[in-house]
Amino acid sequence: MRIEDTEKLISQGIARVMDEGAGYCDARFYSEDGSETIALIDGNLEENTASYESGLGVRVLHGGSWGFAATSRAEDVKETFNRALTNAKTASMLVNIPLDMGRMPGIKGKYSSPVGIDPFEVPLKEKLAFLEELDSNLQADFIQRRIAYIYLQRMKNWFWNSEGSFIERNLTNCFAEARIMALDLDSQMQIRSKSLHTPGSGTRGWEMVTNPGLWSAKTETIKEELAQLLKAPEIEYGKRSVILLPGQGFLQVHETIGHPLELDRILGYELSYAGGSFVTLDSIGELRYGSNKLNASAYGSIENSPGSFGYDDEGTPERDYLLIDRGILVNCLTSRAMISEANQTAGKTIFDQSGGASRSTAFYKAPIDRMTNVNILPGEDGSLTDIIAQTEEGILLDNPRSWSIGSNREHFHFGCEIAWEISSGKLTRVLKNPTYQGHTLEFYANLSAVGDESTWVVKQVPNCGKGEPNQIMEIGHGVPVMRFDDVITGERS
Amino acid sequence: MIDEKIRDAIIQVRDRAKSKNINAFFTMHREKSHLLRIGNNAVSLNTSTDLTRLDVEVIDGHRKGSYSVMTDISSPDVVENALQTAVEKASVATPKEYKPLELIVEKEIKGMEQYDPALEELDPMVKTETYRKIIDETGKDYNYSGSWNSGSTEILLACTANKNIAWRKGTDQQFSCVLKDPVEKWELATFQTGWQAGEVTAKNAAADFKHILPVYHEPGFKVEPGEYTVVFGSQALADILRMLMWTGLNGKTYEEKMGWTSGKSIGDQILSEKVTIVDDPSNMNTFGFSFDMKGLARGFFPFVEEGKMTNLFYDIDTAGKYNRKPTPHNDSASLVMKHGDGPESPLEAVRNMGRVLFIPALHYVHIPNPSKGLFTGSSRFSAVLLENGEMRAPIFSSRVTDTFQNVFGNVELISSNDVSVNSSSSYDRRMPEATSVPSYMVSRGVKITDSADSF
Repeated sequence: MRIEDTEKLISQGIARVMDEGAGYCDARFYSEDGSETIALIDGNLEENTASYESGLGVRVLHGGSWGFAATSRAEDVKETFNRALTNAKTASMLVNIPLDMGRMPGIKGKYSSPVGIDPFEVPLKEKLAFLEELDSNLQADFIQRRIAYIYLQRMKNWFWNSEGSFIERNLTNCFAEARIMALDLDSQMQIRSKSLHTPGSGTRGWEMVTNPGLWSAKTETIKEELAQLLKAPEIEYGKRSVILLPGQGFLQVHETIGHPLELDRILGYELSYAGGSFVTLDSIGELRYGSNKLNASAYGSIENSPGSFGYDDEGTPERDYLLIDRGILVNCLTSRAMISEANQTAGKTIFDQSGGASRSTAFYKAPIDRMTNVNILPGEDGSLTDIIAQTEEGILLDNPRSWSIGSNREHFHFGCEIAWEISSGKLTRVLKNPTYQGHTLEFYANLSAVGDESTWVVKQVPNCGKGEPNQIMEIGHGVPVMRFDDVITGERS
Repeated sequence: MIDEKIRDAIIQVRDRAKSKNINAFFTMHREKSHLLRIGNNAVSLNTSTDLTRLDVEVIDGHRKGSYSVMTDISSPDVVENALQTAVEKASVATPKEYKPLELIVEKEIKGMEQYDPALEELDPMVKTETYRKIIDETGKDYNYSGSWNSGSTEILLACTANKNIAWRKGTDQQFSCVLKDPVEKWELATFQTGWQAGEVTAKNAAADFKHILPVYHEPGFKVEPGEYTVVFGSQALADILRMLMWTGLNGKTYEEKMGWTSGKSIGDQILSEKVTIVDDPSNMNTFGFSFDMKGLARGFFPFVEEGKMTNLFYDIDTAGKYNRKPTPHNDSASLVMKHGDGPESPLEAVRNMGRVLFIPALHYVHIPNPSKGLFTGSSRFSAVLLENGEMRAPIFSSRVTDTFQNVFGNVELISSNDVSVNSSSSYDRRMPEATSVPSYMVSRGVKITDSADSF
């Protein structure tokens, strides 16, 4: 489908459904939603795929309820508006609190991810040569499996709504990872990996993938660490301090701050699948989420991150605001419709504006409340070396192997690739099969050290799942090194 | 019922490709999906989507390339363009050390065994009214949410290796309703599935809720860490079973020595002799495809017989790499765990077992250590403490962290009643999948490692 063929039909469609009594309408047209995946496994090119999607998604609010329809067929544009309107009318037969988008001025805007070299313009041969060199650097006699992959995204889409907004977005994302595996002395497979992170600033095209400092120069490090894991003893069950490197800290934040603060979860709209949240509307401004050292933000003015996209899928410009201020919960991840319902439910204004967090993964999925960039702000406890030196007994953890979180995000269990034991302020030895578990509020109450800016990096998440039908979203997390005390680690024997 | 224009476009391009000695495999996927979502006792979303996709895979000796497109594919030009993109990708690909197996549609197949036009076009009003009835029958003091996804999936496979076309059109639906107490915050859930209109009923959903509601007005019970006898309900059982299969009976995991059956051989006892697991597309509790997504014809296929490892499943790439025979389970599964001889009611089953935990569903099951078969997940929805078969108290969210070998090794009793659990992934494209499992399984010595102070 081409924008030239559909623009007029879309404007007419919006006007028509509004004439038929709709309270709001928006449309998203994707002329291109493309991806490319290249994966070398043990040197064999096992993934060499590309995809292209194009189509239209229409959302109509009528009688306080949403209807949505989507099509990949150019001749169905008019019919798609009809179906969205009909769906909204049907939905309005069962309404509790009528949804209201409020009234906002129309916005004209354009956003493009900062890109130096468009990764889709780089010849496949060049990409393969880069990966093959990386793969050769991963090789060693003891390594039984090597994976080197790149996943690229390029989206070109337009947004219109009944308030007169018209926004063009060109989004580019690059994800990459190197992973090696080997059997340890107990015949258990151990893993070490390094994924592409961003410095937070600069551009996010192919030049990011080929920047050695962001991932590819770490091959020797992860090989040495894997070799140590193969001979390492298993972590013992017990309570101790844990220091999370950003490679693990991002997922901790993602699962136990990001998801519980999505307003649609808080309001109960995800109960049948993703789950709810222990956070309630009464919690905003009141709940002590963690120690005074805990400061969390949404967006955080990150120039270079998959969680930065200019405008959300309701046309709201991205915002930069605090979620947790010195341990107190002060805001959530919100969209226009959800803040309207939350304020109605609470009988007062809890949220005065949308957080710009309404996002959809494709033209054929309706937008829901998502994370943008959910970050932990750097602290004042120095470098990683400083924090280790200040730790009496503990472990340092990196990179997730498993994650399981309670349905209301009240408790969690994580497994990691590697742990380093800390004794009397020094790293002593590597431990394998590290796991830790805890209860969210108790865990963050025991946040005892937050690293400074030297420890802060933006981790890229290409695959956050939520919603029905499920939507996979790209997200960023800027996180420093963090230390938590009195954490249960390891498994009971 | 096949879209003639799309079929003809694919055949035309296929024949042209064959004449040029291009080795290609075509997959057409069309879905008509409808989803109605409920939140806070109201319809929160009502969606319709009509999407058509084409995947083209090209094998050029040791090289492979593929391309997927979602757009109108009824024109041969669009199909040709997709083919040429895949050809180009394959031509510059790095050759593999091994020769990929040729993709062949084994048989000419046309299937509409599980297609109901009434479900394909189900009026969203039916769904709205069903939820309204559930709310009316169960009580308006609670908060209801859920979703009801229904629609049709049409798949057509073609290849340049022969003239066969494999085609299936089927319907499926997945229904859930969650009841939450607005004050105490506990959650109950009911699930239904099927492929025909009329299979989902408000009456069944309301009956599920009414059965368990009285005990949920009792104070919550905090389960201390330790070992318990646990009744796993069908949702939990299906979840664990799929993870068990993926990490233990998957040829790829096995060859790479990643899973918990590494070191075991075909014929070894790996689970309780009460456990038999097969793939059976003729089982109507599953959505039965008579071919898999790489064109292999499907039929009865045992994985575990009376606890003994019988077969592994091999995807086509793994089979090529390790010189094995591929099994017809490429993106297709009709997993069946054979029933036992336990009574229909789980309460009756544990009448003489003292204190037992009933965990109908697990949330967020994951694998901290696949080599050990260690999995973890937390109880969710309708979990109850039982004493000698009587429901005593709802239990707070509790974490099970244990091994597949222990949970499926120390089996006390398996229900004689089979149920269908919809296990369709809604990631990416519509692909109906259901697992047939006994309605419950009782295991001894299951490890509870943590519990919350709330539901």
